[in-house]
Amino acid sequence: MLEIHEIDVYRRDIQILRSVSLAAREGKITALLGSNGAGKTTLLMAISGLLKPRTGSIWLNGISIDRQPVHKIVEMGISMVPEGRRLFPEMSVFENLELGAFTRKARDTKDQMMEEVFEIFPILKTRSTQIAGTLSGGEQQMLAIARGLMSRPRLLLIDELSWGLAPLMIQRISEAINQINTTMGLTIFIVEQNVSMTLEMADYGYILENGRIVGEGEARQLLESDEVKDAYLSIGDV
Amino acid sequence: MAQVIIYGIISGAFYGLAAIGLSLVFGVMRHLNIAHGSLIMIGGFAAYWFFHLLKIDPFVSIPFVMVILFIFGALLYKGLFSHLDKLPEGQKIDNSMLVGFGLIWIIDNLATLLWTSDVRAVTPSYTGKVWQVVPGLRISFVGLIIIGIALLVIFSLHLLLTRTYFGKAVRATAQDRDAGNLMGINVARTYLIFFALSAALAGVAGVLAAVNYSVHPMVGFEWLLKATIILVLAGVGKIGPVFAAGVLLGIAEGISVYFVGATYREVVGLVIFILVLLRRSMR
Amino acid sequence: MEISKKILVLSGIVLLLLILFPLLLGTEHTVNLFIMLFITIILAQSWNILGGYTGQVSLGNAAFFGIGALSFHFLAWRWGLPFFFALPASGIAAVILGSFIGIPALRLKGAYFAIGTLALAEVLGITVGNIFPMAVYIPTAHITTYKLLSRYYLGLTVAMLTQGVAYLIIKSKVGLAMMAIRDDDEAADTSGVNLFKYKFISLVFSSFFSGLAGGVFAFYQISIMPSFLFSPRWTFEPLVAASVGGSGTLLGAVIGSIFLIILQELFALTLGKGYLIIFGAMFICVILFFPSGLVEISRRIRKSFQMRIGIPKKAEFSTKERG
Repeated sequence: MLEIHEIDVYRRDIQILRSVSLAAREGKITALLGSNGAGKTTLLMAISGLLKPRTGSIWLNGISIDRQPVHKIVEMGISMVPEGRRLFPEMSVFENLELGAFTRKARDTKDQMMEEVFEIFPILKTRSTQIAGTLSGGEQQMLAIARGLMSRPRLLLIDELSWGLAPLMIQRISEAINQINTTMGLTIFIVEQNVSMTLEMADYGYILENGRIVGEGEARQLLESDEVKDAYLSIGDV
Repeated sequence: MAQVIIYGIISGAFYGLAAIGLSLVFGVMRHLNIAHGSLIMIGGFAAYWFFHLLKIDPFVSIPFVMVILFIFGALLYKGLFSHLDKLPEGQKIDNSMLVGFGLIWIIDNLATLLWTSDVRAVTPSYTGKVWQVVPGLRISFVGLIIIGIALLVIFSLHLLLTRTYFGKAVRATAQDRDAGNLMGINVARTYLIFFALSAALAGVAGVLAAVNYSVHPMVGFEWLLKATIILVLAGVGKIGPVFAAGVLLGIAEGISVYFVGATYREVVGLVIFILVLLRRSMR
Repeated sequence: MEISKKILVLSGIVLLLLILFPLLLGTEHTVNLFIMLFITIILAQSWNILGGYTGQVSLGNAAFFGIGALSFHFLAWRWGLPFFFALPASGIAAVILGSFIGIPALRLKGAYFAIGTLALAEVLGITVGNIFPMAVYIPTAHITTYKLLSRYYLGLTVAMLTQGVAYLIIKSKVGLAMMAIRDDDEAADTSGVNLFKYKFISLVFSSFFSGLAGGVFAFYQISIMPSFLFSPRWTFEPLVAASVGGSGTLLGAVIGSIFLIILQELFALTLGKGYLIIFGAMFICVILFFPSGLVEISRRIRKSFQMRIGIPKKAEFSTKERG
């Protein structure tokens, strides 16, 4: 579904990503792992259009998206749950979800989508009129994911799911993500520092270090590989 | 004394209308378009020409004036202010202020060249009509219309911002622009339409200015000062406080005229303004 | 600090030319033009130190100009103080006003400071206009002995003084602090730069020389409307001149003012105020596309020219003065 061919991405004239290539297969959960500063968020920003690669190309089901404006990419079916959630802090849960369904086609199915989302995250229904800025960290993360789903995307990008959350909450949310993947068949691309949790959830994984892909493979194999064990499990373990 | 209050409310309704465009754009997009006063002036002249050349009643001409200013505002945004969107907030505010300032020179002096610096006013037949509500308490017909239009604008803006998707998009992008883009909102186009809308609102104020006061090419600066005072008094982005501040200012001016005479009328607002800023600087 | 020989020689030549000009080539019209040019340069450089170098955009310089002019008028013409006393006094009067404003106002954020100073100038203008609604004149005794040339040389002297002091400030540690504040005031603050102190020094300079400009104007004009002394044009035209010429550079104020006066002359017979339209458009272009104004544009042209001929050049830094 998503193919990235050798992109170089710069932020303020500093090169962050070097010749990165990867693919996210339809219906699967693909993970990108790497420590802080490796370039994970930059990669997601490049996919969603907030940054443009200087060389290389990005393809969504055969259509080139690296030159498209952000809102067009959203219309084409990519939705992102950003790092730090980036909710609209002064608007209610309900309004945040409504805004998630901003695109024309999403508006038609808005009510139905909201019901589905409330089924996955019941707490959001209880708090639907509460102002987003006053929610707890875990609830905010759930809202961010729910908001991302409202546009009925074909590909969901998730940046740093576990950031600032307690282990129990992380567990619950990763279960929800698995549920979303299996019941909706949604392709998910998740970027994370927390290695073990992510690899247990994912089907396939990539490892990013200093802006380069240094490893890839089936998630189970990566989890058991020696390099990953040595390098990362000590850092990112829950 | 109650008469003073009535005139204060009418002035206040007008001041609110003059300031609302400026305040909304500053609140949402962080552009301080100080050429807003000149846009009001254009609105006033448009009403004048509609009335004198086409015999159209000024209040009827409001929709047409709004369209003209809407287009003009869109051009201004597309051509000039949009270039500033990428800047960090502090620079964006400063630079948009300076751009607005250059625009004042261009617009005001162009108007002087085209229309001469003569003072114009629109005086339809009902201009002098005044009603006696109770003995000693009079209110002008035009004044009532101004209040009516102000209420209409408040109501419509409120509906727009809370009930429509466009309005929600505006509020959302004001809180987080990138997140807005990620929702599929075309933020650039949203800003364009919103800016143009604020110009249209300036046009409305301009029409009212032409009827209730008068216009000449340099009058924009005066309206700008009023709008800025309101902006600082009312705080940013909310509709209600803008009009409340306007009424407050109108009444304060009325009181000062009552006791001290008309020569220091303009000073009242400016002094309030400076005092508010002073208090702010103490924090 | 060293003053480069090239600059000294060039300034010397320019100074000599300016001194000789009215004696050899000057007509009454051109001498008048130059006097206004000097006043504009003084005001533009005053604004530039506060706005271009320290990053504190002020829209109220007219207040300092007006106070200076008013003070000079009363001290010199009404109360008969000698000029050598009255002129610096007009600068000091402006500084006193500046200090009163500065102490609270400098704590405000950029745009609020700007419109606050604007409001202040307006308040002063209206109040003065109400207290002195009639035009005021130079006393007749002085009108009969009025010499235009002395106004010219006074303007020239004060302009050179302004330029010289500005140069000294910018090249000193004070200038360094100012530019640090302009570029990133939080970083400057955490590095130990006393924000208020340097902003205040900047304001003192700006108000003093604006006041002096007012004094020169009061010395020059035979009759003035007091409210006109506080008109926004005394803030805005120098501001735009400094910006178009290149805010944050030493020559920008001079170049911009020359441009302004030339444009004004060109349009005087045709479209009158039309020159403001062109200048306004140039100003907007500078804000949006060429932040360092004409100085930057001329340097870019020179650079591309040098590259074509293949002249090796010294390392180029950005046009804005950097510490």
